[in-house]
Amino acid sequence: MAGHAEGRQCLAKRLASTFPGKGERKGGVINTISKLTKTCTLRLTVCKLYFILSDKVANGGASMWCELCQGNFFDEFQMEGVAAEHNEIYLELVPENLSRALKTAHSAKAVKIKLTNKHCPCLRVAVELPSLSSSSRIVTHDIPVGVIPRRIWNDFREPTMPDFDVSIYLPVLKIMKSVVERMKNLSNFIVIEANLSGEMNLKIETDLVSVTTHFKDLGNPPWASEDGCQSSAQGRNLESMAEARIDIKKLQQLLAGQQVNPTKALCNIVSKRIVHFILLHEDVSLQYFIPALA
Amino acid sequence: MFGRAIHAIARISDEFWFDPVEKGLALRSVNSSRSAYAYVFFSSMFFQHYCWTAVSDPCHKEKELSLPCKLIVKAVLPVFRCANVLGRNVEKCSISTSPSDHHITFQLLCKHGVVKTYNLTFQECDPLQAVFAKHMCPNILKVHSRLLADVMIHFPTSQEEITLSVTPVKVCFKSYTEEDTDFSRTMVTEIHLSPEEFDYFQVGVDSEVTFCLKELRGLLAFSEATGVPVSIHFDRCGKPIAFSIEDVLLEASLILATLCEAQKEADSQERCCPQQWGSSETHPDKPSGDEPNSTDISKHPQRDGNAPTNPVAKQEVKSIPRVTGRDVTGRAGTATAEAAGEATEAPYQKFHSLFFGAVSYKEKDATGHTFQSLATASDTEEDLGPLQSSPVL
Repeated sequence: MAGHAEGRQCLAKRLASTFPGKGERKGGVINTISKLTKTCTLRLTVCKLYFILSDKVANGGASMWCELCQGNFFDEFQMEGVAAEHNEIYLELVPENLSRALKTAHSAKAVKIKLTNKHCPCLRVAVELPSLSSSSRIVTHDIPVGVIPRRIWNDFREPTMPDFDVSIYLPVLKIMKSVVERMKNLSNFIVIEANLSGEMNLKIETDLVSVTTHFKDLGNPPWASEDGCQSSAQGRNLESMAEARIDIKKLQQLLAGQQVNPTKALCNIVSKRIVHFILLHEDVSLQYFIPALA
Repeated sequence: MFGRAIHAIARISDEFWFDPVEKGLALRSVNSSRSAYAYVFFSSMFFQHYCWTAVSDPCHKEKELSLPCKLIVKAVLPVFRCANVLGRNVEKCSISTSPSDHHITFQLLCKHGVVKTYNLTFQECDPLQAVFAKHMCPNILKVHSRLLADVMIHFPTSQEEITLSVTPVKVCFKSYTEEDTDFSRTMVTEIHLSPEEFDYFQVGVDSEVTFCLKELRGLLAFSEATGVPVSIHFDRCGKPIAFSIEDVLLEASLILATLCEAQKEADSQERCCPQQWGSSETHPDKPSGDEPNSTDISKHPQRDGNAPTNPVAKQEVKSIPRVTGRDVTGRAGTATAEAAGEATEAPYQKFHSLFFGAVSYKEKDATGHTFQSLATASDTEEDLGPLQSSPVL
């Protein structure tokens, strides 16, 4: 079990990070992720943290890649991976647990996260809270995690940007969220269509009713054409719509998890194949892929 | 406020006793496995107008007869459903009983002349009352409910039980997991507090008690509404733990049975039956404070027949998964069993529960000194005196 042994090795080397005052931002990211999926993979490298969900059938084919710079969240960050040339740790965890542990982090004096191995590998989150007395209250949460052996690290590679037909900025997420939530009551699937003139429609259609919400003047992000890889979008008729029919619940989960308005929110549509959402906050980037259904 | 009390009680069980007595109104509830007992007492001052008349019943020889009765919580809850809304809309709430046709009427006089009347039937029934001597507990903590609420917020709502462990220098609440749970799946949370955070901190014996959190949350919500600090009385594991609040207008307590590790087998777990604290009150000379370590039951021969019960109790109890098989258990055969009206059930293999004495006014010779006082530590003076007439315990 070479992979496993390597996994254990990296446990012995601790990851310690503390971040007073930034807990709530991290908490926000974790909250979003916990709404998207029950379990996900956390990849730790020297400078970045990644939350990854790979596109297995169990997730309904949806996949996620969320990247954050550890420097923006942690005051102190120490990590030693499996081996010098693979200085990374991959953990499988339940984001809901982490979200719960960080619930009070916003009022904390300090938060420390350590990877330990008691009965089983755990992420130990220690939150130091202010209290009325001289000594603070300390809350520790032991979150069980699974260490992912190196041999399957390849499963968690960064997804490539699809060759999209249309790329468009999303409307104000709050509005989009309430529209989608109401549509969810009527149908299980939603069609997203958009064109390069900044127009987007959200459509549902059932036997009894069909509802369409139109958004205008959204704007299309200017992707610099590098070696013609965006050619499918280049010569495209500005008015023609690219569309994809996706599971409405996945879209609703993505929107529900957004508490704060992102700096940039856009989606790339590959007609009838996949919708690729990109949400950028100051220090976090979240990509979410929802495959199109027939 | 009244509504909130009902909500708190609703967490314990589906029915509760509604027991008006001269001094005020008592509400009591016991959960199905007899491991939790809630008691809320509203003194007559709490009410704008409190009228309690003794019904003289020719069948009974007592001079006074109060009317304990049992109500289904689900029926009463809707009356007080939205405690917040109630506060704003309801100007007056009046509760009246008519024993003849077994009805209780709740009447809410709301704003704009709206009057809501609820007629509920009740069952006449003798309520149970947990017997628990708070003043005997070596460990007493008193703290504002806000602190407890802040602590409990760290535990998920699905967390069933938590463990409170104290030493003279620290207090720790941690989530409790059964021995056979899969640790690779469960999250464990621990909160460490310093004794300074408590308004009153007395630890006579280092102990670790495990009790049900779900039932406690009800009382915590209620006490936050009242703003009265919460007192926690407990002892070693196996003995019950009591959470109570006390104020001029009302008092409330929640007594929970605690888990204890069997001394013999490391694996088996059982809820030991808290011994009859009530009986100790018949021995006023018994020192309460200075035997913190001798809470081990077998060392107290004064507690009538309790010494032999301890090994008996342990033999009968086998290790069982806690969440299944919550049968109603009575007190296993002890010297007291024959006396207590409620508890003459055969020994159960499952865990034992709190000991309950029937609050039966009919059986009592001394009518004035009711069992009510046993559940609260406040009026110990009265207890010790004329309680020779309580053969039950």
